[in-house]
Amino acid sequence: MAYSITSACIGCNACKLVCPQKAIVSSATGYAIAEHRCNECVGHHADPQCASICPIETAIVDQDHRALNPPGSLTGLPNERQVIAMTKLAAKVSGGKGGAHATNG
Amino acid sequence: MVQSNGGCASASPAAASSCEQSGKSAADLGLNLDDPSLSSDVVSKVTSHPCYSPEGHKYARIHLPVAPACNIQCNYCNRKFDCSNESRPGVVSKLLSPAKGVQRFVKVKERIPETNVVGIAGPGDPLANPAATLATLKAAAKQDSDVHLCVSTNGLALLELVPSLVKVGVSHLTITINCIDAAIGAKIYPWIYFNHKRLRGREASQVLIDRQLAGLKAAVAAGMLVKVNTVLIPGINDHHIEALAQELKLHGALLHNIMPLISDPAHGTYFGLTGQRQPTEDEVAEARAAAGSNMAQMSHCQQCRADAVGHLGQDIDLDADESVKPVQQEVAESYLVAVATKSDVLIDQHFGHAQSFALYQIYEDSIAPMGRRDVSQYCVDNECDETESRMASMLQALEGVSSVLCARIGMTPWQALEQAGVMPSTDYALFDIQQALSALQQQWLEQGKFSQQSRCKEAV
Ligand code: SF4
Ligand code: SF4
Repeated sequence: MAYSITSACIGCNACKLVCPQKAIVSSATGYAIAEHRCNECVGHHADPQCASICPIETAIVDQDHRALNPPGSLTGLPNERQVIAMTKLAAKVSGGKGGAHATNG
Repeated sequence: MVQSNGGCASASPAAASSCEQSGKSAADLGLNLDDPSLSSDVVSKVTSHPCYSPEGHKYARIHLPVAPACNIQCNYCNRKFDCSNESRPGVVSKLLSPAKGVQRFVKVKERIPETNVVGIAGPGDPLANPAATLATLKAAAKQDSDVHLCVSTNGLALLELVPSLVKVGVSHLTITINCIDAAIGAKIYPWIYFNHKRLRGREASQVLIDRQLAGLKAAVAAGMLVKVNTVLIPGINDHHIEALAQELKLHGALLHNIMPLISDPAHGTYFGLTGQRQPTEDEVAEARAAAGSNMAQMSHCQQCRADAVGHLGQDIDLDADESVKPVQQEVAESYLVAVATKSDVLIDQHFGHAQSFALYQIYEDSIAPMGRRDVSQYCVDNECDETESRMASMLQALEGVSSVLCARIGMTPWQALEQAGVMPSTDYALFDIQQALSALQQQWLEQGKFSQQSRCKEAV
């Protein structure tokens, strides 16, 4: 019984702050749930805490890879990913003007 | 992200630029500093803060992005959208640990001595990250006792944290309150995380509004200067501004900052993608006038990003500036090394168990003991056994240290240290300290890590 974190995670650290089992670990490569520590919050709270605060749809999934927060459930934008991809593309085509930002070393 | 002095909804550069003159034209709506009901303490707090008064512009502020988590969602914010427009207010691309944050403050202060304000505004909600926020503020105040500390929050977690904020010396607080009517709130906030649950709809908004107002009242009662930010959203809260301002006054807010919604679809926000329009300049002026009969209006806000540095209107890009960059692969005359040791003879302690570290300065040709640093003196309140804040305290105790030698260390602290630019090592576990340090010195000599004295002295 354990959940896991997908590559949709943005690393906001919120889940880690609320997990009663201290099951969430972070590293340079991202966030993950330590399987042996996660008990899906049973005995602590009615709802799994990580999935109750995570702002990103599909970032936390159960054993069967079902998203605890499916697309559209948090933002109200069912095709958010698509829309974002499209607007990003549009921004690129019209020539991004914010290019002055140096990438950090 | 939280609506800081501008949060996610806020400003494109174009919107921000209109602020310069508006400080004057709208002066009659602003705070009247001759008002006899204002204490001299309040007046001085206002005039020395760049975000609170036009006179404050000669001072400078730094926002430290140490707070990534948020406890609510706003329809003018998209948490994952950071790339297309990085200078979007309220968005910071790079997070800092509390220790790094304070380090940045110290470096900026060296270059801009007028930096008298340290603020925490995100990129999430500072009070959803209480340990990191409080540790950073506490350490900043320790560096400079005259600094003004400010925090911007959505207010959900404020009420219980007022005493801690007062204790670390927070003098200026900004709460983003967009409405006092849950029916309106339901159109702005899709969910909040409160009391171990994700709440939605009107229920969520009602809880948020109640907590914002209670927090506002408590913060005012505790002596903080409280400014309220409101994002003006045409068709949603524009007709409601006067009622809102009345309520804010009742609860003791000092200033009101009405900011136009930014809803560029390229930001990927709900409002942006669903065609919610931004207010016109006239609508903003109208809203400020409507609120102005109750609340002093702030109209020179530049809607800073959560990592803003410098004087308002002339932010400094730290990445473009070599002198503020973390030292990477650079050479120095000497290095500070911390040793986890119980016996003071052997490197015999687990990193996580160390209550203090023995420090040594390693030079090209000598090794000097530098005494010990206690971890506990960097703890916030009594929360030091909380893993999160203990790590923050550790990192502060290790400020300026380039390498830590210990007997053992866990994976998580290892990574946290690395991220903070401190190199942990268990290579010398159970070695004699002097032997280990000599070996390290030898190794660094071979790697050419020591600079010739003449080469780097102007780096100061
Ligand atoms: S389900 Fe509960 S125990 Fe498991 S990782 Fe999430 S918060 Fe932690
Ligand atoms: S709350 Fe969600 S997005 Fe944030 S770190 Fe956890 S899994 Fe990632």
